[in-house]
Amino acid sequence: MSLRGLYMLGMVLILAITTAVHLSVGVGTMPDTLSALISMNAETYEQAIVIYQRLPRALIAIYVGAVMATSGMVLQGLIKNPVASPSTLGVTSGAALFVVAGAFMFGLGAAAQGAAALAGAFFGFLSCLAVARVAGRQNDPRGLALVLSGALVSMLFAGITNALLLSDPSQRSHFLSWVTGNINHVYIDRLYMFWWIGTLAITVNAFLARPLTLIMLGEEKAVSLGVNAMAVSWLAIAAAIVAAGSAVAICGPIGFIGLIVPHIVRPFASNTMQYALPASAVTGATLCLLADLTAKHVFTPYTLNTGLMLELMGGLMFIVIVKKFYLSPKMERAT
Amino acid sequence: MKRGYATDGRTILRSSSGLQIRLGNLGAAVCLLCSVVLLAGLSAGIGVTDTDLRDFILHLSGAHLDDSSAYALWSVRLPRIAMAFMAGWSVALAGAILQSLARNPLADPGLFGFSQGSITAIMLLLVFIPAASKGLMAAAAIAGGFGVALLLIWLVGGAHSSGLAILLMGIAIETVLSSFSSFLLLYAPPETSLALSEWIAGSLFQANWQTIAFFLPIVLLSLCGIFLMGSTLSVYDLGNDMAMAVGEAVSRSRPLLLLFAVFMSAAAVIAVGPLTFLGVMAPHLAGFLSKSTGRARLFLSAFMGGTLVVAADALTRAMPGDLTIPVGLSLTLIGVPLFIIILRLQALRRLQAH
Repeated sequence: MSLRGLYMLGMVLILAITTAVHLSVGVGTMPDTLSALISMNAETYEQAIVIYQRLPRALIAIYVGAVMATSGMVLQGLIKNPVASPSTLGVTSGAALFVVAGAFMFGLGAAAQGAAALAGAFFGFLSCLAVARVAGRQNDPRGLALVLSGALVSMLFAGITNALLLSDPSQRSHFLSWVTGNINHVYIDRLYMFWWIGTLAITVNAFLARPLTLIMLGEEKAVSLGVNAMAVSWLAIAAAIVAAGSAVAICGPIGFIGLIVPHIVRPFASNTMQYALPASAVTGATLCLLADLTAKHVFTPYTLNTGLMLELMGGLMFIVIVKKFYLSPKMERAT
Repeated sequence: MKRGYATDGRTILRSSSGLQIRLGNLGAAVCLLCSVVLLAGLSAGIGVTDTDLRDFILHLSGAHLDDSSAYALWSVRLPRIAMAFMAGWSVALAGAILQSLARNPLADPGLFGFSQGSITAIMLLLVFIPAASKGLMAAAAIAGGFGVALLLIWLVGGAHSSGLAILLMGIAIETVLSSFSSFLLLYAPPETSLALSEWIAGSLFQANWQTIAFFLPIVLLSLCGIFLMGSTLSVYDLGNDMAMAVGEAVSRSRPLLLLFAVFMSAAAVIAVGPLTFLGVMAPHLAGFLSKSTGRARLFLSAFMGGTLVVAADALTRAMPGDLTIPVGLSLTLIGVPLFIIILRLQALRRLQAH
C-alpha cells in the first residue's frame, strides 16, 4: 500500500475514533450512548445530552473542519501562497461583518444571515484583492502584499464588527461567542439550514479536481490540454469562498484549519487535487473535532471557547509559516 | 536668532549656540498648535449639556457658571481633550522612533504588537493580582511591550528581511496575543468584560485629572527624550552600518531608543488602551505638512498625533445617535484606508526609483 493510501486510511480511522470519543466522553455509559444514537430517541438525561448536545457539536465540528480545510487547500493551490486561507484573505471576517451588520441594522433572521454571510465572504475576498491592487505591488512574486492586505481588510472589518457590537449591549452578549468562532450545540439549527451549501461547493471542487491539478502543474500546460484555466480557477475559488461563508454562517469565523491542513496534506498529495481534496476534508474534520475535544475536556472545570483556541493556534502557525517562507535566508536568496 | 540657509537651500533660523530650526518646520508647528487650540475649542462645545469653552473663559474672568455646565466642562470634556492629546502624542512619538529604528516607514507600535503585549501583560497581572497598583501595572505594560519587541527582533533576525515581512510577523504576534487576551476577556464577569473590552478598543471615557497628573510628567519627560535622542535618530535613518560608520554607539543607543518607544506606547496603553495605526499615520501626515528630520520630525509627528486624536475624539462625539465608538476603533477605521494610501504612495516611489 502506498504512503498516500496509508495516510488516508489512518486519517479516516482517527476520525472515526475521535468521533466515538467525542460522543462518549462525559456523563453516561458507552451502551447508553450507542442505544441513544441508534434509536435517536432520548429517554434518559444522559441520552438527551448525547443527542441534543454532543452529536450536534460533533457534526458542526466535522462540517466546519472539512469545509474550511478544502477551501484552504483550493485557495493556497490557486493563489500559490503558503499563507492563503479563508481567514487570512478577509473571507471569514467579511462574512462575519455582514452577518452582524444584517442582524443589528436590519434585524435579519437566521436564514437571511446565511445569505448575508455568503455575500460578505465574497465582499471580503474582493476587498482583499482590491487593496492588494491599490497597494500597487503587482510585481510581488511572494504574495506578501496580498497577505498584508488580507490582514488589513480583516482588521478593518473586525473593527467595524466590534463597533456594531458595542452599539447594542443586549445583543452583544448574544453574538460575543459567535463572533469568536465558537463551536456550540445551539448552532445546530443553522447547520441543518446551511449544510447543503458547503456540500455543494465541495462537490463542485471535487468535479474540478483534475483540471485543478493540471492548472497547478502550470497554467500553460493546462491550457494546452484543453482546460479553460481562467474559468476553472474562478469557479473553484468561488466555490471555496461559498463553502467558507456557509461555515461562518453556522458558527462564526474559524481560522487555523484552513491555514494548517493544506500544509499537513501537501507532503502526501503534492499537487494531485483528486487526492488532496478528500484528504484535507478528512484531516480538517479530525483536527476540528480534536480541538473541540481539547477545549471541552482538558481544562475542566472550564470549557474553553473552541474558536478562540483555534485562533490562538492559527496565530502561532502563522508565525511559523511566515518565518519559514518569508524570513529564512534560503528563501530570500531563492526569490 | 539669525536667518540663514541650509545646505539644501531652505531657510533656517540659527541661534547663537548653534541650534537651528527650519522655518518650514516652525511654521508647521505653529499651524498644528493653532489647529489643536481650535479643535479643543470646538470639542469642548460638543455634548448634551449646552455650553462651550467661551463660558469657561468667562467663568475664569469672574462670570457665573451653573453647576451642570461646570461639571460637563471641567470634569468630562476638558480632561478628555487633554488625555486625547497626550495619548496621541505618545503613540505617534513611539511610531516615529520605531520607523527610524526599523528603517521601515510602516512601523507602528500597534501593528508590531507592542500595545497588545502591554495589554496582555496588564490583563495577566490583573488576573493574578486583582488589586495591583498603578506602578505595578506600568511595569507590567513596559515589560510586555519590551518582551514583544525582543521576540520580534529574534523572529525577524538580521537586516535581510524585507519591510513587509516584519509587518506580517508583527501582525501575527498581535493576533496570538489578542486571542490570548480574548480568552481572559471571555471568562471575566460580564461587567468587567465590558469595561475591559472598551479599554482594549481604546477609549477616553475614564479620562480624569488624576490620570492626567500621572501622564503629564511622562509627556514632559518625552520632550527631554526628543531633545536628547532626536538627533541620533536621523543617523539611524541611514542604516545600521552607516550609523556605526559615522560614530554612533549603536549597541548603546539602539536599545535605549527602543526602550523609549516602548515606554511611550505602554504609557498610552495604560491611559487609553491601544491606538493602532496612529503611529504610522501621524509621522506621514506630518511629513506631508513639512519635511523634517531628527528632533523636528519627532516633535512634529508627536504634535500631529495629538491633533489627530483630539480630532477623532471630537468627530466620534459629534456623530448623531447613540453610537459611542471608542476612539481607538475610530482611529482604526480611519487608519486602515490611510495606511493603504501610504502603501500605494510608497510603491509608486519605488517604481520611480527603478
